Amino acid sequence: MVATIMTKKEKRIDPKALKFLTAVSSAEYSKPTLKLGSLIASVFDANLGVVYVGEKASEFHGSSVNMTRQNLDNWNIIHPGLEVLEWALKELKKMNPNDANLAKIKFNPDHVYEEDGRVRVFLPGEENCRIELILREGELVNQLRKEIQLENYDLAIIGGSQNKRHLAHSLIQYLPSSIFVLQKFNPRKKYKLLLLVDDSSATTKSVEWGALIAEKLGWPVRTLTVSKTLRFGEGYQGAADLAKAYFEKKGIEVEQFFLTGDPVRTFVEFAGDNHFVIMGASTLNPVKQLLFGSKPIKTLERTDVPILIVR
Amino acid sequence: MLFWVQRTRWLLISFSLGAILFFFIPHPLGLSVQGYHVLIIIFMTLILILKEPIPLPAIALQLIFWQVIIAGSTPNEVGGYFMNDAVFFIMGSLMLAVAIVSQGLDKRLALGIIRLTGNKTWRIVAGFTTISALLSSFVGPHMVTAMMLPVALTLIRFTSKKSTGNTQLIAALLFSIAYGATVGSIGTPSGGGRNVIMMNYWAEFGSGTLSYIEWIKMVYPMVLIEIPITTFIILKTFPPEIKILDTAVRRLKAEVGRAGKTSIREIFSVVLFAGVLFGWISLSETYGLGSIALMGVFLFLAFGLVDWKDLSTGVNWGVILLFGATISIGVQMKNTGGAAWLAELSVGFLETLIPDIHTLRAVISVALSGVMSNLLSSSATVAVVGPVVLNLGGDPILLGLASVIASAFGYFTAVAAPACTIIYSSGLVKAPDFLRAGWKMAIMSILSLSLLATLWWPLFR
Repeated sequence: MVATIMTKKEKRIDPKALKFLTAVSSAEYSKPTLKLGSLIASVFDANLGVVYVGEKASEFHGSSVNMTRQNLDNWNIIHPGLEVLEWALKELKKMNPNDANLAKIKFNPDHVYEEDGRVRVFLPGEENCRIELILREGELVNQLRKEIQLENYDLAIIGGSQNKRHLAHSLIQYLPSSIFVLQKFNPRKKYKLLLLVDDSSATTKSVEWGALIAEKLGWPVRTLTVSKTLRFGEGYQGAADLAKAYFEKKGIEVEQFFLTGDPVRTFVEFAGDNHFVIMGASTLNPVKQLLFGSKPIKTLERTDVPILIVR
Repeated sequence: MLFWVQRTRWLLISFSLGAILFFFIPHPLGLSVQGYHVLIIIFMTLILILKEPIPLPAIALQLIFWQVIIAGSTPNEVGGYFMNDAVFFIMGSLMLAVAIVSQGLDKRLALGIIRLTGNKTWRIVAGFTTISALLSSFVGPHMVTAMMLPVALTLIRFTSKKSTGNTQLIAALLFSIAYGATVGSIGTPSGGGRNVIMMNYWAEFGSGTLSYIEWIKMVYPMVLIEIPITTFIILKTFPPEIKILDTAVRRLKAEVGRAGKTSIREIFSVVLFAGVLFGWISLSETYGLGSIALMGVFLFLAFGLVDWKDLSTGVNWGVILLFGATISIGVQMKNTGGAAWLAELSVGFLETLIPDIHTLRAVISVALSGVMSNLLSSSATVAVVGPVVLNLGGDPILLGLASVIASAFGYFTAVAAPACTIIYSSGLVKAPDFLRAGWKMAIMSILSLSLLATLWWPLFR
């Protein structure tokens, strides 16, 4: 069954059509997120949106804040979010020195326009450029969800934060795209790709994405299949074998692991601090996920390594 | 669907609790059925204002229809209380703020302040606090902060290119504006919407009146006492890393100098606004603060000093809708006996702790307003708490004044006062900064109010 799906979907990823969204919050904290966002986007040759989601002022004083911002414009003082986006563009240029299209782009804080409840920075020459800079205000998950729905992003890249445990549930439950949560990512560290494999339908896409990343970055790959009992059913065994076959077909070596125990605890212990985890999104219905959680939600809550949840 | 439920869960919680109270919990003894229903509406509304699961205008709309549907008011009754001089004033002052700020007078103001203060950091902080407080007492904190913030941010920008450095200096400059403007906003009736809301309640409930000049006489000493103490608190809490802002001040002067000579348009705007101020001070007893504010807006429009488009986009009409609705429910709370019942309940609950009734009334009015203003906005606090305070017994003018002044003690959070929200929106100060300085400001303000109430007010009443 898994094999059939994989064969059908083998050519499904069209990198040129993929759109990734990176959320940044400040020059101080968002550099690793932006760096990995840029890296992953280049791996997939995807379009990259950079979004700054700022806090929205209480509606009581909203008009006072707007009036002040308009006045600040007269003093050439730009919105703090636009400053972050300007910084992000500069960083992207540094990260991609060979991208001629990107190099041509100039940031102008006056070239912004409001549409669909957000502010978009108009980048001259952007028809050849695959970068978008977006400013939004409001609650993070709600704004990311709106942006993803509006532009049909395939992946949202988000930095790990102090309140991760609080956010994990909402991010996984409500963002309608794959999610990559970057936690304690060290660009200098040599990571191993850890692919969590089971018989769920989301495993197929995880394998495809994992193969692309491993192929481009040259990271070693491990697959992990965890069963609650000593017996590994046909579905689990088959999925692991087909994943291995898929990687090997691409010329990527794979180490396979089969462990027994509580799935989430085993994932977390195995991942340690030197893996880059890829797992499929839960197929549980949303109400069950809300009430009881899911493997991705619990894994994200408990681990500190970068984790990509493929939907 | 699940996402909508998650987003609006506080709306569902609010309405569910309201339904339980309405259908299953009988009204308490001593409270009329109508009064009980009005209190249920207020309870639901407070949850909605606190958590904002729906836009503010929607909160205002539900206040209106619930009054007709469950509180037994007629539509015309609700409509009648909805629009009054306080709402006219809030509407007029918001429009005047847009009109004045768009004239670019802040560059003149910046030059004036810098000439007065020189380049020493402590003198600039003192200057910002003083000017913000004095101006805000007459024109409101939102307008002052909107004009002062660019001056502070320009100084900050000229001091260092790095936004992460000089955090204490940044906080000192920004808080001097926000706290200065907040401290000043109690000084005159036109210093804030909440002052006018209380004046409106005094008139509506037959509690007496206080003229513009009488208000200044009774409250302004507190503003004058608080200005130097606020400066001291800010400088001690956020000791600036740089003691002299020589280069920044010079560059600011050069920047402001580019604005050229004062234009006729600017002079005319100042004259018009001075006329409005004169009207507020000398004519408001006859014509009301709101009508005079609206006349000022009319003149700005008639002389082409501002476009209607700018006013209509610059003013948050939803807030005006909400104040109208909140005041109408406040009046209903008084008319149905809900306010008196809540006042009696508060007194009965606390009289064992504070046996002296005069002190007790003062504590209730100050504590209720002080605490709630840190959660809601100060004007909304007065709109809701005002009727309760005026039913505590004692002198309604003094208790009302104490309540209005305490509602300006919203120093702890970025939501209470518009000036605090504005500096917070710059992204350069964080929520913990408000706590660091806020508790000192609160203690100072409570002590100042106590001094005012015990030593100064007895001279007048």
